[in-house]
Amino acid sequence: MFLRQLDLTPALRPSLYDDESLLFVQDAVGLYEGKFKIANYQNGHVYLTSHRICYVDNTEPRQYSVAVNLKDVDHTEFYAGFLKSSAKITLFPKTPKNGLRSPVPKYASPSDALVRPGNSPARSHAPSPAPAPARDINATWICPICGFSNAVPANFDPATANQHTKLPACQACGIPPPLVHMVKAAIAAISNRPAYSSPKSSALSDGNNGRGSFDVPSVSTSDEIICPRCTFGNHASLSTCEICGASLTAMNIRRSQLIGDSIARPESPGPSLGGESIVGSDTIETIKFSFRAGGEKAMLERLNEALVQRKWLLQSAPPIPKPGMVNNGGIGSDPYSAPPPPQRVVGIAGLERRGAELCKNNQTVIGSAFEDLEALMTSAKEVIAMAEQFRSQSASSDSITPEARALLTDSASALGLSTTRDMLGTGSSSETLYLTELARNLAEFLTDDRRGVLRREGGIISLVDLWAVFNRLRNGIELVSPLDFEKAANMWETLHLPIRLRQFKSGLLVVQDRSRTDEKTIAALLSWLRQPIPPQLSSDGFEQLPPAVPAGLGFGHGATAQETAERFSWSVGVATEELDMAEDTGALCRDQCLDGTRFWENCFEDFVVALGLKVPSAASVEQMESDQIMKNLESMEF
Amino acid sequence: MASSSSSPAPPTLTSAYAAPPPTSISSQIASTTFTFPTYTSFPPFYTLQPNLTTRARQLTLWSNLLTTYCAHHRLFKLSLSFLPANLFANPSIHRTLSQPDIRTVLDHLALPANGGRVEWIPTSSRSEKPNSCWVYWRTPAEWADAIYGWVDETGQKGAVLTVYEIREGEAVQSQEWRGMDEELLRKVLSVLVKRGKAQIFGQEETAGVKFF
Repeated sequence: MFLRQLDLTPALRPSLYDDESLLFVQDAVGLYEGKFKIANYQNGHVYLTSHRICYVDNTEPRQYSVAVNLKDVDHTEFYAGFLKSSAKITLFPKTPKNGLRSPVPKYASPSDALVRPGNSPARSHAPSPAPAPARDINATWICPICGFSNAVPANFDPATANQHTKLPACQACGIPPPLVHMVKAAIAAISNRPAYSSPKSSALSDGNNGRGSFDVPSVSTSDEIICPRCTFGNHASLSTCEICGASLTAMNIRRSQLIGDSIARPESPGPSLGGESIVGSDTIETIKFSFRAGGEKAMLERLNEALVQRKWLLQSAPPIPKPGMVNNGGIGSDPYSAPPPPQRVVGIAGLERRGAELCKNNQTVIGSAFEDLEALMTSAKEVIAMAEQFRSQSASSDSITPEARALLTDSASALGLSTTRDMLGTGSSSETLYLTELARNLAEFLTDDRRGVLRREGGIISLVDLWAVFNRLRNGIELVSPLDFEKAANMWETLHLPIRLRQFKSGLLVVQDRSRTDEKTIAALLSWLRQPIPPQLSSDGFEQLPPAVPAGLGFGHGATAQETAERFSWSVGVATEELDMAEDTGALCRDQCLDGTRFWENCFEDFVVALGLKVPSAASVEQMESDQIMKNLESMEF
Repeated sequence: MASSSSSPAPPTLTSAYAAPPPTSISSQIASTTFTFPTYTSFPPFYTLQPNLTTRARQLTLWSNLLTTYCAHHRLFKLSLSFLPANLFANPSIHRTLSQPDIRTVLDHLALPANGGRVEWIPTSSRSEKPNSCWVYWRTPAEWADAIYGWVDETGQKGAVLTVYEIREGEAVQSQEWRGMDEELLRKVLSVLVKRGKAQIFGQEETAGVKFF
């Protein structure tokens, strides 16, 4: 069973395929492999989709996120928590066809997905009472009858082999050995392998230090590979030993190099595995998800449902089996249902028949979909496609705008992409979970280049506008209240998402990209203001002269809030706030005149310096402040 | 020694004075016209800045403008009803400092921490805000030093001089304090009296000063 690396969206949620839909989300989950915790994967979110089950770490999401394809999962097991041990769901991988496996599956069953003929496993497991399978191709057993040395089959596990395990016969005399003999040989081979810890798979060993590395090929100085079995020095490019036929794969060579580097004991035989080889490693037995904050029952339910439905096999979701439904017409290829009997569809009769079929189909879809809300959710895609069809057929071109059509298609995907409340379990943590998911949805929505929301607004949008746009997009489903919206917006900082909430002096809340800081805005404003403004034509065609500031004095030009909004494509409120902010930092100064307030670059500093005047000290500035306060108080008294 | 009208004056300046009282405002115009510094063409200069740091700088510039202008045009007193046109306004960029703002600027300059270059002249009725002020492009102390220095240099210590003589005598034509307001001169002389360097005696009109 593979743990694959997972692609994340900018909001640090798993990026889904086109037809993949999100089913369940849960927080506070840890990963186990077999019996042991996997380091670095202990605190994260688990996302269940129709195709995969994904784990996204909280602390380092980009590095430690993995997914398991549901098609690789054979079955699941549930362990309800007890005292300190939290509830766990175990996923058992499917076995490939050419595996050798004991007919009695047990808990720590040898995962036959490990098996690849000719491959050795990357590591062995910690010393538990049942020694986990050590896949060592170089284990050999001596036939008691003829003395020929055969290889122990790679998937033979001395721990779980029982009477019914099928043992291969000896190659020379054709008689299968007794089980005991085989087990002994396998154990001997395991114990003979030296313990090593590479930087990658640390903290693991089979407890026995190196007795010698004669089982493992090592590389000698000059491009020669030493055979593990007969110690013959083979040429570097050979893959099997010339004398005895043992395999000389690169993995063995590498391992031997690592042995040379560090034969060290592991620090502790604790129940945790080393970090990096988890992803893509072949030697995983089972994967467990430990639910430390609840949600396991709902997750188990949905997981089993998803396994049953097997949505990954089809291009689109199969319709829920409806009684009396022969065929799903025209939705997608469905290799699992019988192809329709070929009908002669020539002539008017054919057209009529097709029309009738379509009608019947529509009727069944509508009928079944609207009877049951659950079924509606599942067949939402079909319903929407049908609605699209009707619209395009019947309506004239005026009544639908392209935006409406786009909205319609978007709402279909919106149902899949956004996390609705029923996807989350009940419980005290579901509130925060809802808010975190909402925050991530918002982040994705804003950074989505197809919509270009931020780009249209010049990179900065007020929170109220964003709320309106977002809810409009939801199209009446799962609208968000302003309070929830604000709470989710406040979480962006803590979740390290690429957008942030910012509050201006007057209390206006805006949303902007994380990389856009005040300094950048001020620099942009200044560079624009420094240019002298060319005379512009006003709306009625007369040339509007700018205020007759003598050019060449180096003042640049003054801008009103309206002009600034136009230039940077902000809204006027945002422009005013930005200008005020720049004025507060001292980069701009204002100029009140009859036609409004204009902002200029602050040149006062330059004048004072040029004239060599003494600037009043900080004490006098404070004095000014206190004077102003006094004045304000006095004026208030009248 | 004659008052204003004889020398060629820039038209703006005299037109601002509607029937000036002959003695209070002496407007002997210098022959060279005053060059306005660059910052008077900067439009935000005429708006009182809300940002206090910027305002501090702006007020520094105003103080500079006021003192240099008054020094150039030898204005000892400034009346808010009869302001010189170009001082607080720049017609070419259509900007003017508004009346309340002018008062704020002058108030600021009246603080001793900022140099004390302006002093309000108290009005007769208590409730009104003063409408005119002295502009000390040299403080009274500086004037006192200058006058005493001149007296010392010309060897008139011990001699008795009338106030009129000090203000407008032939000997003082080349001095900076020629044509000074009588009131201001009396202030300066009282500083000297306090220092013990002079003594005033006699009536108002025919007062005499003796320097020690």
